[in-house]
Amino acid sequence: MKFTLKYKQINEEREIPDENYSIKDLLDDLELSAQTIVSKQNGELVIEDTVIEDGDEIQLVQIIYGG
Amino acid sequence: MQCSKCGNPKVIYKREQSGQILCKDCFIESIEKKAIRTIKKEKLLDKGDKVLVALSGGKDSVTTLEILDSFRQRNIIDICAVTVDEGIANYRQDGVDIAIRHAERLGIEHRVVSLKEEYGITLDEIMQRENHKGSCTYCGVFRRTIINKAAREMKATKIATGHNLDDEVQGIMMNYLEGNTDNLTKLGPKSESKAEEFTTKIKPLREIPEREIGLYVVAKELEVHFDSCPYAMQSFRGEVSEAINQLAEKHPTIKYSTLRGYDKIKNILKNELKKDYSHGRCRRCGEPASNELCKACSFLEELGL
Ligand code: SF4
Ligand SMILES: [Zn+2]
Ligand SMILES: [Zn+2]
Repeated sequence: MKFTLKYKQINEEREIPDENYSIKDLLDDLELSAQTIVSKQNGELVIEDTVIEDGDEIQLVQIIYGG
Repeated sequence: MQCSKCGNPKVIYKREQSGQILCKDCFIESIEKKAIRTIKKEKLLDKGDKVLVALSGGKDSVTTLEILDSFRQRNIIDICAVTVDEGIANYRQDGVDIAIRHAERLGIEHRVVSLKEEYGITLDEIMQRENHKGSCTYCGVFRRTIINKAAREMKATKIATGHNLDDEVQGIMMNYLEGNTDNLTKLGPKSESKAEEFTTKIKPLREIPEREIGLYVVAKELEVHFDSCPYAMQSFRGEVSEAINQLAEKHPTIKYSTLRGYDKIKNILKNELKKDYSHGRCRRCGEPASNELCKACSFLEELGL
């Protein structure tokens, strides 16, 4: 069970660690704040509660920068 | 889960402060309606206005342009834009290019003014100097001066900036915490200056949270420059912003209540603390100034320019 993560320069395959692994869980693992990021699942905007499925492409876009 | 408005199961946003869940179309519509409501409520636009958008190419200014353009399409206002190129290597050019493309797409009058052309120095060069006052001090003052001048030259009747709810609430709290009552009275949806050389500034996005503006540009696939300025660093504004965001986690309506509270006391503050600003002129450039030199010129003299 794998998905592809795209975030800034990152473009990598990652294991889905458990069932019901959501984008929120992914953001927590990456230590990113949901307040500064919007997420796309297979090219479509989704909310953070979305569960990541096998073969998904998850793209994270940082929309808020400090300063 | 489905959209609270239309029932579409493809939802993109959960609005913490109201519990609303929205699909893409309903989210986009809600943002545009919100800005239009602010514009009407605060009477930010008059028919026949020529609005100068301060267009950096970032999410806030591009959204401001997009929303004001709906008024232009209905022939209520005309729009022009100005982009200030501060001269920050590896940062500014992308925003400038994006601003140019938006202006071309909409077919509006657009000027790019660089600090280098205007004052003979870039922000990067200022930062090489010893004893500089910090990048943001110069950046803010020079940008404001350039935008005010462009507004007069382009015969604009209003200047629109991209200040969002977060910016506005940070401004209120920062000035309050610093006891800066002078600046506290200057916030608000519409700034009107006594000096007629200063064009009225409007903030159509001041009731929309920053995060929602970020989501709006991604949802609408608007090209914007997402990046942080290399000079952005720990500032008091940053600390205040962090504290407010932390409070907002448990109290999702706190930014709105701070803004509402300020709006209720704003006129009282203005009347009580009103100062008679002298209508002097800068001896160097002729811009309105309360001292012998305007802020921009006093910085230029310090820099030996
Ligand atoms: S963070 Fe950068 S762009 Fe923003 S005011 Fe400071 S120097 Fe200017
Ligand atoms: Zn909907
Ligand atoms: Zn001057």
